[in-house]
Amino acid sequence: METLGYLIDGFGVALAPHNLMFALLGAFLGTLIGALPGLGPANGVAILIPLAFTLGLAPETALIMLTAVYAGAMYGGRISSILLNIPGDEPAMMTCLDGYPMAQQGKAAEALAISAVASFIGSLVATIGLILLAPLLAKFALTFGPAEYFALFLLAFATLGGITGKNPMKTVVAACIGLMIATVGIDNTGVQRYTFGVLELYEGVDFIIAIVGLFAISELLFFIEERAGGGKAKMVVNKLKLSWADIRNILPSSLRGGVLGFIAGVLPGAGASLGSFIGYTLEKKVIGKKGYFGQGDPRGVAGPEAGNNGASSGALVPMLTLGVPGSGTTAVLLALLISLNITPGPLMFTQNADIVWGVIAALLIGNFLLLVLNIPLVGIFVKLLSVPPMFLLPIVTMIAFVGIYSISNTTFDLYFMVAFGVAGYIFRKLQIPLVPIILGLLLGPEMEKNLRHAMDISDGDWTILWDSGLAIGLWVFAGLGLILPYIVGPILRRRMRVTTGTGGAEGD
Amino acid sequence: MTYNDRTFGILMIVLAVAYGWGATQLPAPFGGSEAVGPETFPLLLAVVLGLSSLYMIVRPDPDNAWPWSRTGVELVVAVVVLVLYAALLEPLGFIISTTLAVGTLCWRMGSAPVRAYLTGAASGVVVFLVFNFALDLALPLGLLAFLEVS
Repeated sequence: METLGYLIDGFGVALAPHNLMFALLGAFLGTLIGALPGLGPANGVAILIPLAFTLGLAPETALIMLTAVYAGAMYGGRISSILLNIPGDEPAMMTCLDGYPMAQQGKAAEALAISAVASFIGSLVATIGLILLAPLLAKFALTFGPAEYFALFLLAFATLGGITGKNPMKTVVAACIGLMIATVGIDNTGVQRYTFGVLELYEGVDFIIAIVGLFAISELLFFIEERAGGGKAKMVVNKLKLSWADIRNILPSSLRGGVLGFIAGVLPGAGASLGSFIGYTLEKKVIGKKGYFGQGDPRGVAGPEAGNNGASSGALVPMLTLGVPGSGTTAVLLALLISLNITPGPLMFTQNADIVWGVIAALLIGNFLLLVLNIPLVGIFVKLLSVPPMFLLPIVTMIAFVGIYSISNTTFDLYFMVAFGVAGYIFRKLQIPLVPIILGLLLGPEMEKNLRHAMDISDGDWTILWDSGLAIGLWVFAGLGLILPYIVGPILRRRMRVTTGTGGAEGD
Repeated sequence: MTYNDRTFGILMIVLAVAYGWGATQLPAPFGGSEAVGPETFPLLLAVVLGLSSLYMIVRPDPDNAWPWSRTGVELVVAVVVLVLYAALLEPLGFIISTTLAVGTLCWRMGSAPVRAYLTGAASGVVVFLVFNFALDLALPLGLLAFLEVS
């Protein structure tokens, strides 16, 4: 009942007119970001963070807007999957399987509407799960000591690549690079580390600059390399003819997908792509021969869409309760929290209850807004989809420049951002994942602090790090997170490839 | 071909050694050393990075091709444009530098030059107006400072 009271307070925050307005703006921008080529959710949220600062938004407003962007991006990803057979992001891959055939049969509008409804149901299920699970997990996390936290951070890095990740060692390399960058600056004993006497480095590397550089600028360079500047063919969407029976038909699939997606989102190492994959395979199993999967079965659109949206809400659970994100986009949301001076983790539920519950309420409201936005406005999104990247990406780059410049009004930050962009391009070429670098940057100071506290408690005895049952459990899971991809990864990847017939895109 | 991962692995080992050496040179904090000093965490990182880079050298992944020739030149051009954009943002002012930077990027990505620079100019003016009047954030006017309304 306590939870319900908080939730009602949260609605009070989220329904304040200006918060509602920014949620609407966020939902719209998010769908755009998800739909447009070359702008993944993590990338889009990252570019919007400096703008949220320069607008001088209150912490809860900024967070509400960006949560809406996050939710919206997951909605947007399906548009190009259905219309063009090109997934806007990796989790939307499974939506192509039945969504594109539906579009070819002249039922594009129905497919889009069904996926919007399924996304809504998936998110709704997962948000309810989040409301039930998050306070419990936060209470449990209060029993964590510094040693457990240290192990938890390791677990986060180890599972970041996901079970389907290709080379876990590269995740380790990337995490080290991120953590190393995080050590630059004056540490909390007052010693300058790796500043080389450069004044701008005394306060450390601003992770917003790193994130925007790594994601946005490297994306521009990739588009230039692939010469993918040209636009896509104009698309037409037929008039919507959707009856209640159609919606009732996909309800069970959506509910199942939402629950599965939520579980996949909460668990470390699974993520939205696996959520939508399981959602799709389960639907195929449950419906069996009665379905016509792969030939435009609406349930084949609903299952994975609900799964992928469920997973994206589920991924907020570890981020909000433990301060440990499980995906690139939630890592970027964590960056926002840290820069708003909110310490994520279990204490946030007591110290910043209004913000946490405001965000959760905003997620619910955002989903209603998205459903309302998506069905009538789908035509606009489809039109915007045909804006060629050769105009889009330079403008996005310019907005990244403006955002970073407005943080501190110095050009030093801009050079730094470009340098990070070039580095990001090289890393991506070498298939070094970018998300662990960012997570390292974000979690580095906390990780070192917890190590130091643990050592202070034990008076320099390193065995404290694996002294409790909980800590040992976390170490074991972290180990599994690094080893399993070698054993299970190839099998799972092959199965996903067989089902989708594609190689799969990078990032989520 | 597996040169990429090997080269990168070697570079990272060099970085790990340099970084670790740097950590040992850090001064002891004021008030005596503790169990975890400023050098402990960096030393751990250096060891982990060294080992994982070694793995990359021993078991490298196949290479992605690097874009040499023309595409490579385009990439260098793009990076130069970005650096110049950063350098000229204050002296030339936001609108002019944006017109040049966005325009050049659009043009190099395949748009017709006139349309490209028009896009650049339009986006620069719109963003400038939005930031300066709606959001109250001063972007530099630079050469166009005479237009300033007080």
